[in-house]
Amino acid sequence: MRSFKSSHKSGLAALLAAAVLVLVVLTAGCVSTPAEDDVSGTISLAGSTTVLPVAQAVAEVYMNNHQSADIQISGGGSGVGVTAITAGTADIGMLSRDLKETEKTGNDFKEYVIGRDGIAIIANPANTVSELTIAQVKDIYQGKITNWKEVGGADAVIVLVGRDSASGTREFFTEFVLNKEDSAKTMQELNSNGAVQKSVAQTPGAIGYVSLEYVDGTVKAFTIDGIKPSVATVIDGTYKINRPLLMITKGEATGLAKSYLDFILSSDGQKILSENGFVPIA
Amino acid sequence: MTEQNDTKASSRAVREKAIKSVWLATALISAAAVVFILGYLIYTALPAFAEVGISGFLLNTDWNPTGSTPSYGIAALIVDTLLVTLGALIFAVPLGLAAAVYLSYLAPPKIRDTVKPIIELLAGIPSVVYGFFGMVVLCNFLRVALDIPSGFCWLAASVILGIMALPTIVSVSEDALFAVPKDYKEASLGLGATYWHTISRVLLPAAASGISAAVVLGMGRAIGETMAVMMVAGNAAIIPDPIWNVLSPVRTLTATLGIEMAEVATGSMHYYALFGVAVVLLLITLIVNLASAWVIKRTQTGSKTGSLISSKTKRYLKLAAATAAAVIFFCFLVASLGILWAIGISATVAAWYFGRKKVSHKIAEKSSFLLIYACTAGVILILAIILWDIFSNGLPVISWEFLTESPKDLGRAGGIYPAIIGTLQLVAGAIIIALPVGIGAAIYLIEYSRENFLTKALRTGNDLLNGTPSIVFGLFGFAFFVIYLNWGICMLAGQICLALMILPTIVRTTEEALKAVPNAQREASLGLGATKWQTIRKVVLPSAAPGILTGAILSVGRAAGETAPIMFTAVVFTKRFVSMNVFDPVMALPFHLFVLSTSVPGATPQQYGTAVVLIVIVMAIYLAAIFLRRHYQNKLLR
Repeated sequence: MRSFKSSHKSGLAALLAAAVLVLVVLTAGCVSTPAEDDVSGTISLAGSTTVLPVAQAVAEVYMNNHQSADIQISGGGSGVGVTAITAGTADIGMLSRDLKETEKTGNDFKEYVIGRDGIAIIANPANTVSELTIAQVKDIYQGKITNWKEVGGADAVIVLVGRDSASGTREFFTEFVLNKEDSAKTMQELNSNGAVQKSVAQTPGAIGYVSLEYVDGTVKAFTIDGIKPSVATVIDGTYKINRPLLMITKGEATGLAKSYLDFILSSDGQKILSENGFVPIA
Repeated sequence: MTEQNDTKASSRAVREKAIKSVWLATALISAAAVVFILGYLIYTALPAFAEVGISGFLLNTDWNPTGSTPSYGIAALIVDTLLVTLGALIFAVPLGLAAAVYLSYLAPPKIRDTVKPIIELLAGIPSVVYGFFGMVVLCNFLRVALDIPSGFCWLAASVILGIMALPTIVSVSEDALFAVPKDYKEASLGLGATYWHTISRVLLPAAASGISAAVVLGMGRAIGETMAVMMVAGNAAIIPDPIWNVLSPVRTLTATLGIEMAEVATGSMHYYALFGVAVVLLLITLIVNLASAWVIKRTQTGSKTGSLISSKTKRYLKLAAATAAAVIFFCFLVASLGILWAIGISATVAAWYFGRKKVSHKIAEKSSFLLIYACTAGVILILAIILWDIFSNGLPVISWEFLTESPKDLGRAGGIYPAIIGTLQLVAGAIIIALPVGIGAAIYLIEYSRENFLTKALRTGNDLLNGTPSIVFGLFGFAFFVIYLNWGICMLAGQICLALMILPTIVRTTEEALKAVPNAQREASLGLGATKWQTIRKVVLPSAAPGILTGAILSVGRAAGETAPIMFTAVVFTKRFVSMNVFDPVMALPFHLFVLSTSVPGATPQQYGTAVVLIVIVMAIYLAAIFLRRHYQNKLLR
């Protein structure tokens, strides 16, 4: 009986200790002193994972300049961006595609084009092919060309990697490169630029499409119709596979949201954009 | 005077009644939650069902919601889900069972006492970590080892799921084997059977119901898993051609939700169709759950009722099933390893099967044990490789700054402090919500009710909630809290989703703890004139406290590692300040790892660092539970 009693006591003690620990940890983080500032408060951004990195990069600089501003950024996707603005659960929506007519009806959205994004067709660095035409890319994605030797490479099966069916990047790719026709059903569908990049980087026979910023040492970008994809070739209009990046608000932006959007569109903001591999608007 | 006593007694009776109805209400919550979630999902999916028709939705193999002519057939997704689960079981059940046999019958007690907690700890590795490992290491290994164009395939998904199911299967079957009365073993050995014969012919069959429970639990985990599958399966919505081609990319129901849900436009047909997918996923898990409950019950009660089919047809059926299994297995081998290996392996197995009666018992026993040792070593080796990969890459990243600073440059620099706090906030909220409800439900089920239709229904509801895939909670939370109630992405929505997810575990562990309290204690207390509620509060609950606490801690561990329920409901990728407001979004470690590994180029060290912190937090929680359990077990034994 004695051991039973003491056991129940130490059980309660452990519970108490755990509760105290949780409280301490929870309160530890909430010491924040709002400084006097022109714009303060909290806004949230939600939407396209393509826009997310650059929105974040700009927000970090912005928040360094405005100590009491809190800009929370979540991904989700272009669809979530629209939903969140419609429902009023976020202040700014991020889209890597144009608004659809169905989304526009009944909503008073204000659109801001913050930059452009080139889509690079990428392959594993080990791939000997480095030039393709748009027509070849289309045939590859529709399963008409299935081996790299058909486009002048080694005898290896082409592994198609693409984006999920809800992706804005895929939608643009389907419209612009595939003329709205479906890609082959064997295409592996991944749900982010990073996932595509990673998959292509470790699969010698793979082909994929990602935002320009995801072209780093681990993958190589094809020259398409003789043009190397880069910020410069998108600006001068020679690399055609590019699309606008949007931010939307419900009605005219105000307060912190307006200040943040102004900063992105300013020359400082646009510089951050191009440092991150996106294409600034003229 | 007597009047006063009467009013006192009646007010007491009223109070007792009130208390009872409060617990009844809590007990109703899990059952109600299942019904409500299913109902809400079906309601949201209605437009899709109306557009394509139930049969078109279920039987059409073409899932192409954004094609030039959209089509919403999920037959391929259903088939792929079942294939991946089947593959996971083929991989995990033999390995897990062998390890369980080793631990319960062959291992020296000291090794058993160290190895078992280690394997249990591994149940706590979050699925996003397994997915991350699968993506970076396993898929690459498969591609090179099998010389195939891409390692992202059915085989990879099944292996990862199998590894994830291993700890559950080992742990639960080991418990079942350990619970077989010692007399059986002694009787069998006394009759002159070898130790191996005793294990394979007496002890294993005696533990059959527990083992089948282990397999079903592992299966449930495999069907409902989202993050890991999504990261390694390749996700092409096709039925493998031929159907045993384990190297084909596949796409499961859960992965479809995890991938597409975030980006789809709300209110589009695609959106409704995804809810249709969730309904089908939920129904499949419900059916599996109910079927398994039925099977387990049958094996437990034994075949008293008598079999419907004669023993002769039974033997034929068995033979047919075995042949089918052998053929399927052979096809798998051909597909994954090539024809030569397949023939070699099959020949070895056949030689063993037909030759086993000819070899002496000694050799049979030795070789069986050798196989078991090899399997156990394999299990431990697999888990060791995963941990080694993550810790050797992740530990160098851990620094004081990494733990106490906010992320910078998209998480490529800075730290993960807000994510650590956010994770703690999410699990703290979940446990605060789930603990009272779960304990209340268990008190009602054990203390107040007798076995009747209502309790049966409540238990079933609880089991069904337990079998609900975590992504379904996320989807429901998104549709209901975030969109319908218009809370937006916020901490509270995530906490409720996590609470619903861990509620069944708390109910079940509390029930077990209450059952373990000897009835004599209750009777003594009631005999001294205490009311029922006083007895429960002062006598029963305190002695059940350690068990309840262990259950609660295990649930916290599970909640801390989950991604799917919070990814659409509660988390943002970055956040500057830590806030206490439950209507603010939070950062969380599992989601941070997921985004880092899928959306941020050049953040590999931070991925590993985050994985290490996540694992350490979850494991610390599990370790606490294990120590607590052992502490009280030792006390009880003394």
